[in-house]
Amino acid sequence: MKWYQHQRPACGLIAASIAAAFALPAVAGGLPDMGASAKPWEVDVLYDNHLAYRGEDATGHTVGLSKFRNTLTVEADKPVADGWKFRGVLRGSFDAVYRLNDDEYGDKAGGPVTLGNVSGAGGVFEVPHGGGIINNQSAAAMGLTTNAFGFDTTANPNDGMRVLGDRWHGVTPGDVAFGVPVRPCDEDSRGCRDFGGYGDLDRTELELPEFNDRLDFIREAHVRKTTYLDDGRALYLKIGKQQVIWGRTDLFRVLDVINPVDYSRNNIYDELEDIRIPMWIAQAEYRMGPSETMQDRNISLVWNFDKFRPNNLGQCGSPNVILDAACFFRGMANLWDNGGTVANFADGAVATDFGPHQIGIRDVHLPDWSIENTQLGVKFEGVTEGGVSFSLNALTYRSQLPSLRGLVTGPTNPFTGAPKTADETNLIAFDVYYPRLNMIGGSADFEAEALGAAIRLEGALTVGEEFPNSARERLFSRNKVWRSVIGIDRPTFIPWINPRRTTLISAQLFWQHIFDHEYYETGTRVAPSGATNALGPVGMADWKDNFIGTLLVKAFLMNDRLSPELIIARDFRSRTHAIAPKVEWSVSDQLKVTFGANFKGGSNSGNRFDDCRSCNPYGPFTGPVDDIGYSLGLGSYEPLGRFRAGPIGTAINEDEVFVTLRYKF
Amino acid sequence: MLKKLSLALVVAGFIGGAHAATEADVEKSFHPYKGGFPTFPGLKAGTTISKDNVEQFKDALADGTYLMIKNGYTTVTVGETTDFKLPQEYIQATLDNLNKSQLGAAVGDNIVGFAAGRPFPEEPDIKDPRAGEKLAWNYKYGLNWGDNAIINPLIFKYRNMESGEVERTLRNKFHFLNFKHRIRDEPVPEVTPNPSDLFRAIYLEVEGPEDLKGTKLLIQRYDDDAKLDDAYLYLGFQRRVRRLATGQVTDAFLGSDLMIEDFEGYNGRVADMKWTYKGTRNVLLPMWNHNEAPLSDEIDPDADGYKYIAFGGKGGCFLQAPWQLRKTYVLEAAPVNPNHPIGKRVFYMDAQLQNLNGAIEIYDRKGELWKVWSVGKSHPDHHLPINKGTGVGIDDGFQMVDIQSNHCTTGHFRGEIAPKETPPQKFQVQYMRGGD
Repeated sequence: MKWYQHQRPACGLIAASIAAAFALPAVAGGLPDMGASAKPWEVDVLYDNHLAYRGEDATGHTVGLSKFRNTLTVEADKPVADGWKFRGVLRGSFDAVYRLNDDEYGDKAGGPVTLGNVSGAGGVFEVPHGGGIINNQSAAAMGLTTNAFGFDTTANPNDGMRVLGDRWHGVTPGDVAFGVPVRPCDEDSRGCRDFGGYGDLDRTELELPEFNDRLDFIREAHVRKTTYLDDGRALYLKIGKQQVIWGRTDLFRVLDVINPVDYSRNNIYDELEDIRIPMWIAQAEYRMGPSETMQDRNISLVWNFDKFRPNNLGQCGSPNVILDAACFFRGMANLWDNGGTVANFADGAVATDFGPHQIGIRDVHLPDWSIENTQLGVKFEGVTEGGVSFSLNALTYRSQLPSLRGLVTGPTNPFTGAPKTADETNLIAFDVYYPRLNMIGGSADFEAEALGAAIRLEGALTVGEEFPNSARERLFSRNKVWRSVIGIDRPTFIPWINPRRTTLISAQLFWQHIFDHEYYETGTRVAPSGATNALGPVGMADWKDNFIGTLLVKAFLMNDRLSPELIIARDFRSRTHAIAPKVEWSVSDQLKVTFGANFKGGSNSGNRFDDCRSCNPYGPFTGPVDDIGYSLGLGSYEPLGRFRAGPIGTAINEDEVFVTLRYKF
Repeated sequence: MLKKLSLALVVAGFIGGAHAATEADVEKSFHPYKGGFPTFPGLKAGTTISKDNVEQFKDALADGTYLMIKNGYTTVTVGETTDFKLPQEYIQATLDNLNKSQLGAAVGDNIVGFAAGRPFPEEPDIKDPRAGEKLAWNYKYGLNWGDNAIINPLIFKYRNMESGEVERTLRNKFHFLNFKHRIRDEPVPEVTPNPSDLFRAIYLEVEGPEDLKGTKLLIQRYDDDAKLDDAYLYLGFQRRVRRLATGQVTDAFLGSDLMIEDFEGYNGRVADMKWTYKGTRNVLLPMWNHNEAPLSDEIDPDADGYKYIAFGGKGGCFLQAPWQLRKTYVLEAAPVNPNHPIGKRVFYMDAQLQNLNGAIEIYDRKGELWKVWSVGKSHPDHHLPINKGTGVGIDDGFQMVDIQSNHCTTGHFRGEIAPKETPPQKFQVQYMRGGD
């Protein structure tokens, strides 16, 4: 499966020693001697506090404190030898929410859960985790004497759990669901997997996210140098841990995909600068300057030689779990490891106790470091004679979002206890991969004098992305994707806001198109037996064409020291929206305070999809043998509704108010 | 007969609007004080003009300056008028291209035939309906900061004029480069290739405070006055270059009391304004010798001991260095665009330098005085050693007073004529992305 790649309308923002951060690895010969310049270090020290409070989630439970993060940042610059300049940024955060609201996010989170049994079989409509109606004994009683249903509830007890997705869509009778452990991994290790920086973190690691094996407290440490050549040309080198930003779009990541992003910090609502994960990168630019036909030309090469890292989607049980994806992952990993009860599964209506290694997520295949696994980009950027700025970009990289590929072999057939065969397809048992992607694209901006506006364009075609697809044997397909954004920035006089200063109005429309999109409306996919997907659509959950619009209105008052703004983002296909007002107040050059809120609305009622309960992997037990892999289309919110709901829809019950404070020492 | 008379009137009108300038005009334009410095009854070096005696000197003051003194916001100390001799290369370029520049057929059209120097060195004629336009062109192609210069730093202080509180302090680094019509520093006469036919560029980096640190601004001005400037803003917190829309040049720049359009007095197209020459007056302008002017410890001296011009008066908004009695052309500029936030600007253009920024009044759309704005200049021979002999009046400090909001922004300069600091590569969009 593949997570919803289209991006993130954000609305939209130290304990270690300096010496440790400045201990650059020897990445190239001829780099400067850090002590060779007599010029002093320029050092800024910043303290940030971010306090947030959430209302009720979809279960009616008031979440309460969702962030109490304290961040210390040290920014240091120093000219070094031979024209080289060094910049280092250290950042360390401590989020006390895991202690202050431990019922929600800490060691006391979760509890026992009950799961749906809409059939009423066994005389109940809900069963506790571990109390599935289909279990080893009941299956044996049906003649399946070698069955492998059932699991050990001492290894997988009914505690410290929530029902998958209950935060964003509640518990819907008849839907598929299972319990998900939500406590930090030192407290409860069930379902903990390292997805590349999240998924297997203990409480301390959640509280102090930068202090990890990848030394994330070193946010940046790089040296750079411009060498001026003849005829207006220049050579620019920048080597070290850094962010490389491509493109011209706010909030969406179309070309801006070189660095992965940490959504665990504040979902999609922080500035990208604060949530891009810096990587060890070498950049070389040949700035050719003007020619006879263009005012500026340059070509740059970007080599991300760091070990691969994906986007951080947030660990289940922490406040920011974009798409609620990591909860699905953790629940699925727990199902693989320990088995578990799945609501309304057998016949689409009976709670079923699966055993270990039958369904779920088995392994996460994180690319090791090797030359082949590094990432390379090239960009030509120019300004035409008429003043149009543009870029042409190409990048070969790894998907920063996980793809879940159905297992061919490895799982156990719960009906027989035998290993699954390759002919038994469409089973909801997966390994996670991060496939290689290739992207080409471009961007441009220009001024439209008649409109009094600046226009921005950006587009990219990506090859190799993988999407969940219930019509494919391994439940994913590889599709080309086009993403593009058109944006317009118009400073506009709005007299009642400020008669002497324009208010910025910025609107963007994002469009994502998936090529060769496979989707069967209800009743249109015919199985060999003649049966159809009578219960619902089958195929790809992601929309073939999706559109998200954003509108920013930002005013400036009191010599720009007070800046109210409103961001509205609408995901047109998911039919959900976010409204994010905030006011920034620069109290002084040292102190800035921001008050804001984030409200979501709309409806997720259309964001359900084939959940593969009816995928028939094990005919004749799950359907006709001839129809193995042909889903009837029985659907739920879980697990694929999240791809239709998107990051706004899956956070629809995460309304939040917040205050942030930044102080510069 | 009637036809002949009409033709004669047309010819007379044409000549009246564009009479041939002479070498004597050039001499007078660049050496207006050859016959002696201007005088005003009772005014001499050392005189302090305060609200108590301002009426006596009202005619020697720009209207805005007069109002500031009359209101008791500040006093002005008079200094000796000095000769700000422009570089010989600029004067020679003016002579070499004498009468080659002509106004376009209609108001707002480009001039034609301009190569270098002062396009219209003749004394403006009040009867000439396009005299103001000529002065505007003289400003556009004036010496200003010369072929290339930096201001490092230019410190903005946002001040509450009532309380004197300094609300914000911005530390900026400005770069200026003339792509065309260069007269002194290589390459002369222009940087090539220059396919967009850029005339000039300004590149600015903000070094603080923290929330604005890393902001960069690039303004590229075309030689073709019909083309809008290209303006790009790099936001440190986004790490991305944004194309600026036209309207943003009339916004308060980073919250200061200045618009981008106010930079250097007027930073826009000639065609964007209706220019009217209102006459010639001798008025006091803030011009001095930096090394002899009152300096301040409000800003720490630079490592080499350079100290910044002192400010005082109400809220600390006002230049304290002496003002000189100068010959000025009073020039009014009203925006062509009816949606422009200002009603008009009145410039007191120094006749010798033909800069616009010594004394400016800015009126709002209702016709009420909004801001009073002055940039003080130091003689280059009495400033940093690097500026000696350049002939460029060195902007040394500014006061931008918003009298309606009782607020001001002051500017504290360290300007240097520094060709090595301004390679053309710095004035490209990509340079903003990568930094140096």
